[in-house]
Amino acid sequence: MNPAISALLFYLFALAALVSAIGVIVLRNPVSSALSLALCFGFVAAIFFNMGAAFLGITQIIVYAGAILVLFLFIIMMLDVKSEDHTSGLLRHSVVGVLVAGMLAGMISSAALRLPGAVGGSCPWHAFTESLCSELCPAAASTDPSASELQASISAPAPYGGALPTLDPAKRGADAKLLGQNLFSHYNLTLVILGFALLAGCVGAVSVGRRLRRD
Amino acid sequence: MDTILKWCSDVLSNPTWFYLLTTIAKLVLVFAVILAFVVLSVWIERRVAGWIQDRPGPNRAGLPLFLFRRFGSKEEQPLKKLLLYLGCPPDGLIARLCRWLRLDREVPTFGLMQPCLDGGKLFLKQEITPSYVRKLYFILAPMLVLGPPLVSAAVIPFASWVQTPFGEINMCVANLNIGPLWVFAVSGLSVYGLTLAGWSSNSKYPFLGGLRATAQLISYEVAMGLSVIPLLMMFGTLNLQEIVQSQAQNGWTLLPFWGEGLSVQRWILCVPMLISFIMFATCIFAEANRTPFDMAECETDLVGGYHTEYSSMKFASFFMGEYAAMVIGSALVVTLFLGGWSIGFGIDEALASYNEWLAVLCQLVIFLFKLLAFIFFFVWVRWTLPRFRWDQVMKLCWLVFVELAVLNIALTAVIMYFIH
Repeated sequence: MNPAISALLFYLFALAALVSAIGVIVLRNPVSSALSLALCFGFVAAIFFNMGAAFLGITQIIVYAGAILVLFLFIIMMLDVKSEDHTSGLLRHSVVGVLVAGMLAGMISSAALRLPGAVGGSCPWHAFTESLCSELCPAAASTDPSASELQASISAPAPYGGALPTLDPAKRGADAKLLGQNLFSHYNLTLVILGFALLAGCVGAVSVGRRLRRD
Repeated sequence: MDTILKWCSDVLSNPTWFYLLTTIAKLVLVFAVILAFVVLSVWIERRVAGWIQDRPGPNRAGLPLFLFRRFGSKEEQPLKKLLLYLGCPPDGLIARLCRWLRLDREVPTFGLMQPCLDGGKLFLKQEITPSYVRKLYFILAPMLVLGPPLVSAAVIPFASWVQTPFGEINMCVANLNIGPLWVFAVSGLSVYGLTLAGWSSNSKYPFLGGLRATAQLISYEVAMGLSVIPLLMMFGTLNLQEIVQSQAQNGWTLLPFWGEGLSVQRWILCVPMLISFIMFATCIFAEANRTPFDMAECETDLVGGYHTEYSSMKFASFFMGEYAAMVIGSALVVTLFLGGWSIGFGIDEALASYNEWLAVLCQLVIFLFKLLAFIFFFVWVRWTLPRFRWDQVMKLCWLVFVELAVLNIALTAVIMYFIH
């Protein structure tokens, strides 16, 4: 895709995602909040699609918008949650919220600034000030063929997975295969640990949810 | 004239315009075919139901000839005139056959007018929005049910491709590399419509219907996703056009009768494929919310389920959404397991080398025939099996299908390991 259009679409989708994310907090009705979150997931998926990572985008929709959020909605409706009371403990809540959000933002931005594309002063911020063109900052997950050479020439620090694999422009669109190969070779240990964490969550949920029979 | 033709060829030589115009043409075709099939499947449903229950079904709605006064009164019917003109005796075999087909009273439509009249009826009915509903979501819900099935049709290939002087046309609206996942994701979004319809109606039975729909659809989506993995392992691609192409060359997934399909290894692989076909088809039944899985609108315990409070065109949207989901589900089963557009036995390649446009046309017709056959199967199951109980439906999914699907994946992996 034309890099300029691609960048334009990115800012459009990102803006829409941010607006719907704000809607999650601002809207009083819990069901409206949940639906706004679904919209946000949809726009994030659109950003993935725009980067050429169609598999990631569709997984985002299937897993988050199609399953997890529907369960949220299910619970909200079952419990019949009324509009929340926003007055009590406002200061304490906001202080804790800002702290947690700040920690998360710091973590994400420190990771983002050390990604291969951001090395050498070509971080997204610089790219934005210099031009709207995305050639300077190839996203780490992008399968855009024009980005592949740049990705190969830069090696990331070891904690971030080292050098990225070189992409064959002819294989554009085979991102499911690429993702699978990386997950099951490069990041296999991480994947297994994550799997165990999820399993622990499942076991915990079952043990909480299961009603023991007395008879 | 020449200038117009030149202008057309200029426009088509521009790759962007060519892509845009062909895509719009394909979109219109797919949309029209789906809506026509929604109407057609309603008719099939009613006729087959009548047939199974030993009653005629809706066979009367047609164009009665007495409307056309100029054809004459009942005594001088056009049929009689025609028969006399052709020299057939008025009480002979042909005349009796025509009378049995009711050709003497109406233009023969076999009841095909019924769905159109139903549509007109629903359109003209009074629209009642109860005062106690949550308006915004009440209006939004039918759209969210009807929209997703229509969108998810974009990735289903309905024929192969043709080379034109301006470029290649792939007979698939969006040839994505994530074909089946796109259908799962987008048709999975219709669960929002059902849930919101149940909740926004603000009344007891629709709410229960909405909750049931949510639980059932999410559960069966898991089983559905797992059940197609063996097939994807065999083909090694997620692109539906490529899957159908390899089926056209080497035999359909379930019927490998030609090409490389005639090997022992391929026939051994038919066992897991058959298991996954049965599971996938069942999950499609559950996803389309049809009997025996129509827990969400089970009228014996829920009045009408999530659409109890809806009337007129809003109700019709739910109705159409259900049938559209059925059509798309059938199309996906046909594409994955029954060869999609491929005619089989190597006829595709022979036709394509003769004339590509002819091949594409034949493939489209074959695809629609397969689709009709599977829709008939859908209807057949509905009118044959009794409805399950709610807990049976959930147990079937979580205690049988999910486990069986995982075992099936392992079985396929073992077979493929020993084959290669």
